[in-house]
This record gives sequence, C-alpha cells and structure tokens, in this order.
Amino acid sequence: MFDLPIEGPALFSIPFGDIVDYASPYTLILFLFAALFTALAILSRPEQHADIIFGEDGVYTGRIPGPENRFQRFMAIACGLAAMGATVSGDIFNFCIFTSMVGLTCIGIVASSGNRHVLNAAFEYGIVTMIAMIPLFGGAAIVAATTGTLSIWELAGGAIAVPFVAKAFLVLGVMGEGMAPFYVAKAEITRAQGAPYILMIHVSSLLIFLRIIEIIITI
Amino acid sequence: MIGEIMAGDHYLPGIAIICVAIVILMTTFFREYDDLHRLILTGCSEVVALCIIAFLATDLAEALILPGLVVSLAELVALSEIYINKEGLGLVPAPDRTIEVFSSAPPIIAAILVIYGIVLSGFTGGAVAGVGLLFYYLCLDHKERFALLETVSGYAWVLWVFAFFIFMMLPAYWFFAVMMAGSAIFVKVTIKLALIGTMKPDQLLEETDHV
Amino acid sequence: MREREIREGHGSMVSRISRFISDFDNLVPAYALMIACVALIGLLTLPLLTYEPDQIYPKTLNPSSPLNPYDRGGAPFTAAEVHAQYPENAPYIGYVTGYLTPLSRFFAATTQYMGTTIVAHPGGIIDEILYYTRGLDTIVETSILFVAFAVASFLYRRREE
Repeated sequence: MFDLPIEGPALFSIPFGDIVDYASPYTLILFLFAALFTALAILSRPEQHADIIFGEDGVYTGRIPGPENRFQRFMAIACGLAAMGATVSGDIFNFCIFTSMVGLTCIGIVASSGNRHVLNAAFEYGIVTMIAMIPLFGGAAIVAATTGTLSIWELAGGAIAVPFVAKAFLVLGVMGEGMAPFYVAKAEITRAQGAPYILMIHVSSLLIFLRIIEIIITI
Repeated sequence: MIGEIMAGDHYLPGIAIICVAIVILMTTFFREYDDLHRLILTGCSEVVALCIIAFLATDLAEALILPGLVVSLAELVALSEIYINKEGLGLVPAPDRTIEVFSSAPPIIAAILVIYGIVLSGFTGGAVAGVGLLFYYLCLDHKERFALLETVSGYAWVLWVFAFFIFMMLPAYWFFAVMMAGSAIFVKVTIKLALIGTMKPDQLLEETDHV
Repeated sequence: MREREIREGHGSMVSRISRFISDFDNLVPAYALMIACVALIGLLTLPLLTYEPDQIYPKTLNPSSPLNPYDRGGAPFTAAEVHAQYPENAPYIGYVTGYLTPLSRFFAATTQYMGTTIVAHPGGIIDEILYYTRGLDTIVETSILFVAFAVASFLYRRREE
C-alpha cells in the first residue's frame, strides 16, 4: 500500500511503526543536499578569519578557540541530521519535531559566539523559534483533529481535505523555526565566526522550507 | 455522573477560544520590548501550543503533548542561558545560602524523593527523583559532578535509541524494550533536572565572603 | 536613523519591507503579527473546520475500571485492541498496552483510582504509542533535550570561566 504516488513516484519507504518515511525524487534530492552539507561540516576545517585594523597595515588571523569550534561542529552535525530526518519524514508531527530540532540547533550555532551583538540576535531568533511552536504543533494538531490522521500517505491525493488554517499554520511555523524568509535579518548571524558551520543554518532552513511547501501541496 | 461526552463535542468552541488567546498573546509581543518579560511570555505561548494539541482529545493527543512539552522546556532552558549570557548576569553574587537547614535537609529529602521516584518510575518518577537531586545539588557544593551526569545521560539516550531499534527490528522482544525504554526515560529525566541543580555559581562561598 | 531613511530613500515596497526586517528588533513583532493574522483567519473560517469522528487511538472512558482514563483492556502478555495507523507495521501491537508491572497490578487490585495516580510504570497505552508505534518522535524529542542541554551547559561553562 506504500507505493501510491505522492508528488512523484515514491522511490522507497521505510516503516517505523506509524511513521512511514519515504523518498520521492524531490525529497531524495533534498535529503542528499542535507547529507552533503553534513559531510562537509564533519570533514572541513574551520575558517580562520582575518581581523583588519583600521588606520594601520596590520592584519591578524583570528583563531576560534577549541571548545567553541568543537561545539559549533557538533551543533552543525546535529542540525544536518535533523534536516535529513525532516526531508524524508512521512508524518506531519514527526516532521514538526525534526523542524524544531533544526531551529534549536541553529540557535545553538549562533549562540556559540561570544560576541554580545551576535548573542542579542540569537536571543531574538530564539524567541521567534519558541513562538513558532504555536503554529507548528498547532497546525499538526488541527490536521489530526479534522482528518483523523497524521500520515502524509493517507492525506496525499486530495481525498481528504486539510483546512487552510492548518496549512497556513504549518508554513508559518516552519518559517519561524527556520527563519526562511528572514534571510535579510540573518546578516547578523554571519557576524558569528566559523564559516562552514554557519552555512548549515542557511542550508537547513532552506531545505525544511522547501519540504513544507512540498507537504502542503501534497496534502 | 457526567453524561456521555464524545471526543470532539467541544472542538470548535475550543479552537475559537484558542484563536482569541493567540491574538491576545501576539499583541503582547507587539507591545513588550523587555527581554525578560518576553522570555516569560514565550512560556505562555508553549501553553497555548499544548492546548491546541490537547483539544484532539484522544490517546494520541496525550502522546503528542509529551514531546511538545519536552521540546518547549528544552528550548526555554537554552534560551534562558542565552539571556543570562547576553546580559552578562554571571557575575552577580549568589545569595547567601548558608542556612543550617540547607546543609542538613538535602540528603534526607533527596533520598526520600529519589526512592519515591524509583517506585513511580517512568517519566513522572524521573521528574520526582530529579527534583530531589536538583534540591540536593542546589544546596550542597558539588563541582565535578557536571561531566559525570552528562555522560550518564548520554548513555541513557543510547539505551533509549537501542530500545527503539529492538521495537522496530525484533518486536518479539517488546517486553525487554519496554523495560529498557522505561528505565532510560527515568534516568534521563532525573539527570536533566539534576543538571539544572548544578548550574549555579561555583564559588559560592568566596563570593559571599566578598559581599 | 532618520538620516539613513532619507538617504536610503523611500524606495520600492520591497526595499522598505526588507529594511524593516533587517533590524532584528523588529523580527518578533513582525512574526507575531503574521501569526495573529492567521489566527484571525482561523477564527473567521471556523465553521469550515469539522472534527473527524474516526480518530486513531480513540479515548474510551470506563469509570468502573481502576485504570480509568487509561484502561484499554488486555491482560499482561496478551494483546489489547489498539486502533493504530498502520497495524501491519507493528506485529506485536497491543502487548505493551496490556502489560502492567506487578506493582501496578497490586495497586489496581487494591485501590479504585490507580489510573489517576502518577504511578508511571512501563506499560499501558501511552507507552505503546510513545515507545512503539510513534517511537521515532520520542527519539527525536530526547535528542532535542540532549541538544538543548548541550547548548545550556556550554554557555554556562563559558560564563564560569
């Protein structure tokens, strides 16, 4: 029964009890992207940023201290794994939980910086992430209450109507967790040091946003 | 006696009230610019999120509330720590807690709560035992416990994942997996609460001397 | 601030919006406004929502049972009836629901209100859902707890130094 078309032919499905993960060509590409960037976070060496002193010729190479570096790497890998889970999840609530893990690890990556200004930004993003739990989990709960199921397999194909509010809530929730349309605001994040790991924030939020668009079109 | 109440009888009024609550809550975020107050308001927003799930009114809802609750608590802990960091509050001297009760009571109360927690077991048992340990670590000075507690909690997490894979791959051994997951959740919740207890200024005595 | 606005100008709508959200102090109010709008839409389209009576894991109440809110039938080591999403993915479904530890069984035989206590021994419907049929949710949830405490303890230790 797990071979019906989702938004393309389903390539394969992995059942975990009620939660049946699946891969379609679209989600498989997203998954591979997440896997690629996770591998980059594991393998790459961190950047060494240059501090230029104004008025002089001096250029210093800044080194990020060891514990911060390790912590950022751990957070980036966790973020990548959560994004991988979110891209192939076949259950709406499961997707929501993976998404909130992405949000939390993003906050972790930003907060590892000791800069007061960056910490201020991290706090604002953290507040948005926590407010986003209302639309995210609320949307999933409204889907469950009005359709009687959370499985994307059951909801696919348009046989069961999912209310507009639930879809809007889900999109808003993912926007809050991944801050996807707030890229402009993310300029503050890039002041945080640690290039390959900072990249993970952008990649993961883009991936979960693409995935939620796929989900609301499918259901 | 209560008459026959079907699940979902009051679903629409409930959602209506929740929608109004969301609008009120969001208005406060519009008006409040104090960081600490906004941090507390996010706690309120978690309650609203859990309420929407609760209106589902099935066993599934209860099983979804638990992850929702844990996720919101976890984010609140992380966010509070960011708040303390960004405000630079770490240097505030700790209040003088050299009261005699705080040196004699913790072992007794902690022991009672931990034993009671073991009897309860599971999530609630972990919470009860964790409160006991939290109290213990808050009152007494234990410096090197932090890393140890973190390690044990890591092992509990691995145990849980292992139990999940038993459920998925060898479902015939479900009993073993239930016991494993049950004890892992107990250990994990206990230790997470105990960790909060250890998060206090280390140099308690020196700092109070300065004051 | 005033000067900048004049200099960067009264550009198109997009550049004004982009400038507004580029200040992260405006982020929370902007997001709160969006949620409030959707909640209002939800309030207006409320009649379109209907509660689906055919739910998975339905809740049944049996006030005469000592396990009242959680009694789903089944004896230890026999399967109880559980309405899961995909029963075929869980061959041993219902066994966890039916199981009670000896201590819980003692309480259930002694008192009428076992179900209302906070005794949370392994077994029962919630454990069936949390550990077995929706076990992946719980795995991710504990991972989130793990990550959040890693963030908190990292920041805490850095502050201590």
